Amino acid sequence: MAMYGVPPGITNPPSPLPAGADGEHPKTTGTLVLVFVFLAAFATYYFVNWKLLSLVWRIG
Amino acid sequence: MSTAFRTCPVTRLKVHSQADALIKANAVAATIFLIVGGIAAFLVLLTRWQVVHLLDAAWFYRMLTIHGMSMLIFFILFFEMAVLYFAGPVVLSSRVPAPRIGWLSFVVMAIGALTVEWAMWTGRADVMFSSYVPLKAHWSYYLGVILFAVGALTVVGLFFASLVVAKRERTYEGSIPLVTFGALTAAIIAVVTLGHGAAIYIPTFLWSIGVMHVDPAVYRLVFWGLGHSAQQINLGAMVALWYMLGALTVGAVVLNEKISRSAFVLYILFINMAAAHHLLVDPVAGPAWKVWNTSYAMYLAVLASMVHGFTIPAGIEVGQRLRGVTQGMFGWLRKAPWGDPGFSSLIFSIVIFGFVGGITGVTFGTEQINLIAHNTLRIPGHFHATVVGGTALAFMGATYYLIPLIFRKQVAFWPLAKIQPYVFAFGMLVFTMAMTFAGTFGVPRRHWDITFSNTSFDLQYSPAVDLVIGIMAVGGLIAALGGAMYVLVTVWSVFFGRRFDLETVKTGGQI
Repeated sequence: MAMYGVPPGITNPPSPLPAGADGEHPKTTGTLVLVFVFLAAFATYYFVNWKLLSLVWRIG
Repeated sequence: MSTAFRTCPVTRLKVHSQADALIKANAVAATIFLIVGGIAAFLVLLTRWQVVHLLDAAWFYRMLTIHGMSMLIFFILFFEMAVLYFAGPVVLSSRVPAPRIGWLSFVVMAIGALTVEWAMWTGRADVMFSSYVPLKAHWSYYLGVILFAVGALTVVGLFFASLVVAKRERTYEGSIPLVTFGALTAAIIAVVTLGHGAAIYIPTFLWSIGVMHVDPAVYRLVFWGLGHSAQQINLGAMVALWYMLGALTVGAVVLNEKISRSAFVLYILFINMAAAHHLLVDPVAGPAWKVWNTSYAMYLAVLASMVHGFTIPAGIEVGQRLRGVTQGMFGWLRKAPWGDPGFSSLIFSIVIFGFVGGITGVTFGTEQINLIAHNTLRIPGHFHATVVGGTALAFMGATYYLIPLIFRKQVAFWPLAKIQPYVFAFGMLVFTMAMTFAGTFGVPRRHWDITFSNTSFDLQYSPAVDLVIGIMAVGGLIAALGGAMYVLVTVWSVFFGRRFDLETVKTGGQI
């Protein structure tokens, strides 16, 4: 039941978990992909900063 | 004083009338300071946009001070007080112990905040957020901060007391819920933070009236135990709200309680040490101290954020898949309720906090890299992503649930409310990324005139800087529009909104 001005989480809350949901969880492949995208972004930004530092302060 | 309970027909929680009232009062106060800080932000932005350059130097620094204090301290902490009353007495279906003290604390906090605002608006405290000694403000500024901190600390004490009362009166079974545990983390960090505040603001107050001397180096060291750690209270509260919004909007499951709780404990143990990164280029601190705090301890706190950054989306994915949303790798995300402002706020908050705020923050926390980032616009680019794009957006998402559940009003301008997180998040994303880029070109932070006009030297930036600053300004204006939409929706809902009877909701699911 949708209601104007009320978030759907209140008017139409998530259905209860099916029986047996306490057991083994489904695999979180989507989240894992997002995590690796995050790590790639992290590594790239970190590397770029070291590169920038090396350009500002040259050694030798 | 009323001590009646009502049972929320949606959440089945017993809500103490005093918790109800205190949440409302603190949330309204938070919004008032959000408006004040937002107006100051708008003026600061239009001054930093070099082609507009709106304010003169004195008003620029005044507005920057007002923006920093109103947003980082008053808005955030008033909202966190509301979160503590919600995550304590409401979530545990318990009563507020000593509600009179709660009201007294609120009044003390309000008096403190108004005193600080008065000092700032009247030009008695153009010292910016960090108020580094020997910059001296009027004594009322320091006294106001002390009063505010005492009030906030008292509310934190009440929160601890509410946990004891709930346990004694057996209003819940087993361990406290994860949301309450997150709020407990924020409360413990608040004690450490406000302790630092007392340790440095009381001497500084005495210094301002000529009673004692304050060493600038000691000030910087202790101040950041307050200044940065105050943002870690936000962090604890924000992550607690992430878990809450995940459960409310899509029925996210908690993958592993122990791991999530351990991550919160890592915050308590290590995150205050991360404040040391403010002093990475400070000559008074030794390298061993800097490296231990920022290259070891800080990473353990970062690990905690990465744990939450994984477990919350994974909990959403598992919850969705268990309910039959199993299509493809991202079907769980595609089929999520993107029209629910609580959900969109949650996701945008996680993304901006992690991808922009988190990555930049960890990078700048490295001592060597800090040398090229320190005091540039990259730093506000980082913390606007964490505190505004992360925390404030999560608070906004929570508000859309707070209005019907606590204020018992419909959210006004509902179509506007649904797009508000998109506008705000997009604006903040553009703003923070452009700010970070501008800082990479060496543009300084907290600076009225980056062209250094009327000075004896000529400073040339890359020609790209004008473009990047222009993009930053456009992003900031879009974010300001998103902020104004939030204020319009919340203020209208609370004061003029239609009454909403929770009993009319026939819930077939679970919260």
